[in-house]
Amino acid sequence: MRSITKRFPGVLANDAVDFEARRGEVHALLGENGAGKSTLASILTGLYRPDSGEIAIDGKTVEFHSPRDATEAGVSMVHQHFRLAASLTVADNIVLGYRGTPWLRTNPGTIEAQVAELAKRYRMPVRPDARVWQLSVGEQQRVEILKALYRGARILILDEPTSLLTPQEANDLFETLRTMTAEGRTIVFVSHKLDELMAVSDRVTVLRGGKLTGTVNTRDTDQHALARMMIGREVVFTHAKEGHETTRETALELKDVSARDDLGLQVLHNVSLTVHHGEIVGVAGVAGNGQRQLAEAISGARPRMSGDVLVKKRRLRSGDPEHAVVNGVAHIPEDRMDTGVSPSLSIAENLVLKSHRRPPISTHGVLRHDRIMRNARELITRFAIAAPGPDTPARLLSGGNVQKVVLARELSSSPEVIVAANPTRGLDVGATEAVRGLLLEAAGRGVGILLISEDLDEILLLADRIAVIYEGRIVGVVPGSTADVQQLGLMMAGASA
Amino acid sequence: MRIQRRLDTPRWLVVAVPAASLVAAIAATAIVLLAAGKDPIATYARLFDRAFIEPGSLSNTMITATPLLLTGLAAAAAFRMRLWNIGAEGQLYLGAVGASGAGLLLRDQPGPVIIAGMILGGLLFGAGWAVIPGLLKAFFNTNEIITTLMLNYVAGLLLTYLIFGSRSFWRDLSTFSARAFPQGKPLPAAAMWPSLDLSVVVLPFGFVLGVLAAALLWWLYRSTIFGLQARILGDSPPAARYAGVKTRRVVVTMMALSGALAGLGGASEVGDFRHVLDPRGLQQAGLGYAGIVVAALGRYNPFSVVLVAFLLGGLANAGYSLQGPGFPAGLVGVLQGMILFFALGGELLIHYRISLPVPFGERGLSRQ
Amino acid sequence: MTVNDSIVVVLIASSIFYGTPLVFASVGELLAERSGVLNLGVEGMMLIGAVTAFWSVQHLGGPTWLVLLLATLIGGAAALATSLIHAVLAVSLRANQIVSGLALTIFAGGAGLSSYIGSVGSLGGQPAKHEFTAINLFGLSGVPVLGPIVFHQNALVYASWALVILTLAYLYRTRTGLHLRAVGESPQTADVMGVNVARYRYAHTLAGGLLAGVAGAYYSLAITPNWIDGMTSGAGWIAIALVIFAFWRPELTLAGAYLFGLFSSLGFVLQAHQVPLPPELFGSLPYVMTVAVLVIVSTGWARQRLGAPASLGVPYVREER
Repeated sequence: MRSITKRFPGVLANDAVDFEARRGEVHALLGENGAGKSTLASILTGLYRPDSGEIAIDGKTVEFHSPRDATEAGVSMVHQHFRLAASLTVADNIVLGYRGTPWLRTNPGTIEAQVAELAKRYRMPVRPDARVWQLSVGEQQRVEILKALYRGARILILDEPTSLLTPQEANDLFETLRTMTAEGRTIVFVSHKLDELMAVSDRVTVLRGGKLTGTVNTRDTDQHALARMMIGREVVFTHAKEGHETTRETALELKDVSARDDLGLQVLHNVSLTVHHGEIVGVAGVAGNGQRQLAEAISGARPRMSGDVLVKKRRLRSGDPEHAVVNGVAHIPEDRMDTGVSPSLSIAENLVLKSHRRPPISTHGVLRHDRIMRNARELITRFAIAAPGPDTPARLLSGGNVQKVVLARELSSSPEVIVAANPTRGLDVGATEAVRGLLLEAAGRGVGILLISEDLDEILLLADRIAVIYEGRIVGVVPGSTADVQQLGLMMAGASA
Repeated sequence: MRIQRRLDTPRWLVVAVPAASLVAAIAATAIVLLAAGKDPIATYARLFDRAFIEPGSLSNTMITATPLLLTGLAAAAAFRMRLWNIGAEGQLYLGAVGASGAGLLLRDQPGPVIIAGMILGGLLFGAGWAVIPGLLKAFFNTNEIITTLMLNYVAGLLLTYLIFGSRSFWRDLSTFSARAFPQGKPLPAAAMWPSLDLSVVVLPFGFVLGVLAAALLWWLYRSTIFGLQARILGDSPPAARYAGVKTRRVVVTMMALSGALAGLGGASEVGDFRHVLDPRGLQQAGLGYAGIVVAALGRYNPFSVVLVAFLLGGLANAGYSLQGPGFPAGLVGVLQGMILFFALGGELLIHYRISLPVPFGERGLSRQ
Repeated sequence: MTVNDSIVVVLIASSIFYGTPLVFASVGELLAERSGVLNLGVEGMMLIGAVTAFWSVQHLGGPTWLVLLLATLIGGAAALATSLIHAVLAVSLRANQIVSGLALTIFAGGAGLSSYIGSVGSLGGQPAKHEFTAINLFGLSGVPVLGPIVFHQNALVYASWALVILTLAYLYRTRTGLHLRAVGESPQTADVMGVNVARYRYAHTLAGGLLAGVAGAYYSLAITPNWIDGMTSGAGWIAIALVIFAFWRPELTLAGAYLFGLFSSLGFVLQAHQVPLPPELFGSLPYVMTVAVLVIVSTGWARQRLGAPASLGVPYVREER
């Protein structure tokens, strides 16, 4: 890819980037969120058209007008968020859009046999007749890879492939990649996880702010050097919380909490946890093990099957968010744009999303607009929310500013406990530091924080104690300062410590 | 052609687009008229004349506009929070049943009492009919589009049954001809709703109630806890759940409110205009469905609904009164449909920005 | 009185007769909804089909079978043209599909275009010059029980059976059918895999229009060989309900349509046999039953296995390229 440039409204995503990958190598594409690596990958796979620059495959210049062109040229991408039709079968999904099979499928068994054969060859077992919604995340990713292999992909792009996998599943994936490169295929591995790249790649290309910082051989470099190329300054890898007082008083206690998910299946099994005032308890785990439902069960957004949630010894009513709010529970949800705020409502209205039922914001069922505005102006200033005005609809704000609105609202209610779910996901470095700073500050003031995060690094950085959740159960709690990543990884994958 | 979602809508566009779609609809219908061999300009002139200009026309327009206003508000109230209540038709029928029942029961009471009773009857029966799909939606997440639709037909059948299929309280059995040719019991003279005479136009009581209801609805959405919660729920159900909004309560209450407004429309039909329960007339008029058109064109804003109800009332009034060999009934529906099509199409321009393809060779400069 | 005159056989045979337009209309709506487009304009499209088919029958010359064939096709084509409006609005202009479908019904329906055509063409008040009559299939119409039910129906009934079989094969045994199902379930996925979402949605919405037109033609050429303003009396809405009732599966629409056809004819047949139940009660059964089925389908377990195409009613906007 030579001198690729791509501009979106308001941002120059790729600025004259050069990128080349050799046959049979695993080439990592490294950069922070917003550095342009996903854009570059999307251009290579035909999703976007570059504003200028060109792509050459095996020496020949090509132009992709759609993902199908790219697929026909042998370039396939496995996206971070899978593109699968949940109610169709595995075989259906693999064959979807492929024109090599006959139009009339008199015997669906033939395709299923082909798929099974392919899966066996690459040691990725998956049932061809299973419906995708029945599969685990790791299995779904295998379907995505099989899709590419079925179409004879010579160049496979993987976008943050391990973000949803356990350490063991990630290792299985790397095995599969090695099989593929041995056959002469090329893998482009897009990621921001330094340790993985060091383990699996042959070369690394680093992007920063849309520009190419450099391309190095993996064995000639180390994490520090890569981090410097990625961020432009030294990154501190040590624990952030120093000399921090935690009291013995319990802020939040969960006793044998069980809950069901939206489909009626039990997703939390007898979860017990304690968070003390001023303490940050991290809940680590791979996505999809009940984290969201745990946060909702505590905040009242989800009713509990059994068990108790107590805040300062007071029992919270199940399924009653108002009761939780009144008793000092703040919740920063993982889906900030559609749950944390109501997108079409103004910032001012969003800031009273939880307090609108009580004085001084409302009296006798009627809203007091003057109080709402005053509250909004005060919070916008205090939390430095960048917006044209309090009447601006929330959906016009950047991710970081939306999170500031959420934090402003939650923190200003003087909570006893904060349940924060993936609070820095998708935010740039500046916003991430701001959010973490606010959480640390709250802990310093004596608020108990339950930090539920899929980012193990974040938990290692901030937590006093770390609990691991697996399939809706707490499988272990370890002190933060002495935590061993291997041990945590094993727990996250369900192996007992 | 690229289509991107707009972040922010310029003020002028919000007014210009509906106006332009109205013009486009008029032009398109003119083509249909030409195809049928009729003179569009003359037809439009006659329509406009009969709707607004001729002596007495404004008052007649008000008569047609009143039920449209009420069912329009009913639809607007619900649609604003993405609660697709298509059942205004059936809720209006039930409101008519309730109001006429009350009017007959209270026949020996003084006028204001009867009228109050009719209003109450209309509100309660309409609300009750709407609460059924509301409960189904709240507790079983059943799609309200289909349930309200189905109940429209059940309501129509009920209406027919009361007069044509049985010897019910609503049916007039006093004379031989009434027994042979089924009809409803006429309401007492004291049950006639008053009207507001403004010399240039006479406003039926129902219209006045409708305007008050519009103001109330506007205030409700803007300044009450309930209104805010309804908006949150309509905007993002996960956010509503997160914020502790009692979703079920809000859904059922809003359906009841919407149904009450439609029921009031039915009460007005009986009290202001028909003075009897008239199944055939009510079912032919299709007032509930027309209300949805009014609400959509008014973009769910209560005050716009008043204006649109007035305009469409004029159209309907002219259409019905001009009906005959020279002026087929179907024309009204055609014009209404056209207006709605163009308004819907115009919505795209309000929410999305369209940019034309970049000319070949100028890839470096992408125009917006 | 033979068994073929018994109330049961008569009922079943007439259920099939009265239920057939519902089969056409609901299979059509099923195809549209499978692609993700909700079309509430079925009632309007059926009436357009009815009036144009009737017009054709009154004005075309030739042998009966040819006139009927052409009339049905013309009815279908007219309804297809009408559905194009909804397709453009819903797919290309991303309009609110509920309002658009309703607008279509208002535009084309009982007090709209179909009525306009009816009066402009002076189509009311005279019987059709040709009508669909029952065919004695293979000469077996006298066979006990099966005779009147299976071998003594009109051509469109048999066509509807062929339609259901073809639709089943199409959905589950062809590549296009797979693509259709993907478009309805996850248009983003289909798009990325190279399936043209807009094209599929257009095609199947138009197919829905065509079939709704044929259903309408059935009314004016088979059930009541006449033109009456608004003669479908809400059958279009029942067809929409039927699609849900049948969990979006063609074979179940057949069963559902006949069940609903049963209820329509039940009222009158019973009256003819002096059973004193008001016909309105039976008339309301299809609607009530649909609501009941809907409640069942909405529960969590059923939703995943039996539910609506996930993207139904939601316009698809592809991220910018």
